[in-house]
Amino acid sequence: MLLEAQNVAKAFGSFWAVAGADLAVAEGEIVGLIGPNGAGKSTFFNCLAGDTLPTSGRILFDGVDVTRATPEVHARAGIGRTFQVPMTFEDMSVLDNVMVGAFLRHPHRNDAREHARRIVEMTGLRPDQPGRSLGTPGRKRLGIARVLATEPRLLLLDESLAGLTPSELRDAIALVRRIHESGVTIVIVEHIMEVIMTLTRRVLVFNQGHVIASGTPEEVVRDDAVIEAYLGRGARRQRDE
Amino acid sequence: MSARVGVCLLAALLLFFPLIFPDPFYQDIGVAFLLAAISASSWNIVGGYAGQVSVGHSMFFGLGAYAPLLFYTLFGWPPLAGIPIGILLSIALAVLIGLPTFRLSGHYFSMATIAVAELIRIFFGTWTLVGGAIGLQGPAVARGWWDLTFRGDLPYYYIFLAVLGLLLFVTYEVQRRRFGFYLRAIKASERAARSLGVPVRLTKLKALALSATFTSAAGSLYAIKTGFIDPDSGFGILVSVQMVIVAALGGAGTLFGPLVGALILVPLQTAANTWFGGSGSGMTFILYGGIIVLIARFEPGGLFDLWRRLSAMMRRRAHAA
Repeated sequence: MLLEAQNVAKAFGSFWAVAGADLAVAEGEIVGLIGPNGAGKSTFFNCLAGDTLPTSGRILFDGVDVTRATPEVHARAGIGRTFQVPMTFEDMSVLDNVMVGAFLRHPHRNDAREHARRIVEMTGLRPDQPGRSLGTPGRKRLGIARVLATEPRLLLLDESLAGLTPSELRDAIALVRRIHESGVTIVIVEHIMEVIMTLTRRVLVFNQGHVIASGTPEEVVRDDAVIEAYLGRGARRQRDE
Repeated sequence: MSARVGVCLLAALLLFFPLIFPDPFYQDIGVAFLLAAISASSWNIVGGYAGQVSVGHSMFFGLGAYAPLLFYTLFGWPPLAGIPIGILLSIALAVLIGLPTFRLSGHYFSMATIAVAELIRIFFGTWTLVGGAIGLQGPAVARGWWDLTFRGDLPYYYIFLAVLGLLLFVTYEVQRRRFGFYLRAIKASERAARSLGVPVRLTKLKALALSATFTSAAGSLYAIKTGFIDPDSGFGILVSVQMVIVAALGGAGTLFGPLVGALILVPLQTAANTWFGGSGSGMTFILYGGIIVLIARFEPGGLFDLWRRLSAMMRRRAHAA
């Protein structure tokens, strides 16, 4: 297993945002993480990325315990992440933004620039465009490009495709597929079912801090617990009648 | 290309300024300008590029200022020998301050730096070894060139100019390298920087140490030139605030921003002092206050940013025509 989360829990005061979640991702997989708002996806996701320290549980990456490691160490180990809100480096150009990521494995400026340029090309952005002038789709794309430049083995995508128009979405899905084909393992948090259905072969459904269902996307959307979590008990009864 | 021409012109102007204006009054302003530019450029590394707004940089300036005069007073060492000691002390202080305070962000960091600088100022004011509230004096008559005690301003002008040149070169190199990219990323978003593998605290610490090095050197130059230092002129809050204002006025986080700021502020200050005489020392505070309000309200990016936008607009207009 490339990534293994064992019984991960996170409490904020007396509230358990994540209450004993397990996840195992094999090298080369794309796994989807879905669930209604407030289900604990993002907290769990932040635990995986090293942004949040879990209250209990263990996270192993390639057999090494990274539960308490900082985000920097995660990046160095090969775990990359994007953010729901892209956090672009506003005053820097697209290329400079990506170079910050590229410097992780290429300390010399020219190598980093060369590497960043290749990635910017692959994501279809304009290298000299200022970060602040980018719209939402551009920023999301830049977020992906930036983390790709760190050459991750595992990519954690946090709603990187939300807020796009249908045609932008198609391009973005193609981009994620290309990244996957280049050998990167991907865990993707997403609300848009189209993305989950087309990209992933395995989905975990979160609700109230627990994993309530897992399986192929087709299985999961028919699962009673999942329908109940999203739509309430009434919806299930309605369907059953 | 035009940027390169601009830099050459500026260098030539600075190099020949004392020859164009041989009057001691103007040379004095020139030296004050260089000192302000060196201090603000030093501050700029951590305050501008890394966005960690220290309002206590006088702690490094003061250490740098006291060291040469203290070792001269105690052991009769030439002031030159005190400069590296001041720098080492400042780096040590930077690490000591940086380790705990870089956990703080935004205003909290600024407030912590003010507090430390004020503590040191008060401490030096009561410490008899460093002359207490009266301060220390340098050599009145030079025993040799190594005492760096000259009658006119001209030698100081060129020494300061050389230091400024070195500092700008270092900043330029920082800006192009990984270190500089990391600083700018940290300024924009620490969290995002961290996720890309930037060792945030170490990078900030390095920036503070580098900044402290040059700020301390600026303090040493000031004390040696003036031949005198007391707690207020070394560690006073006005010393720190001036660095922030000069850099912010010209453009924090840009290579030449602090130079532009000093070019405007120093003559303005001299003019204010001349108009209002010795009774007008409070005018400096009013001037600084006014500038802070204007920058914050109209040009948070400083004049450099304004100029960049204007020139871009002109170019577009020229294209359209």
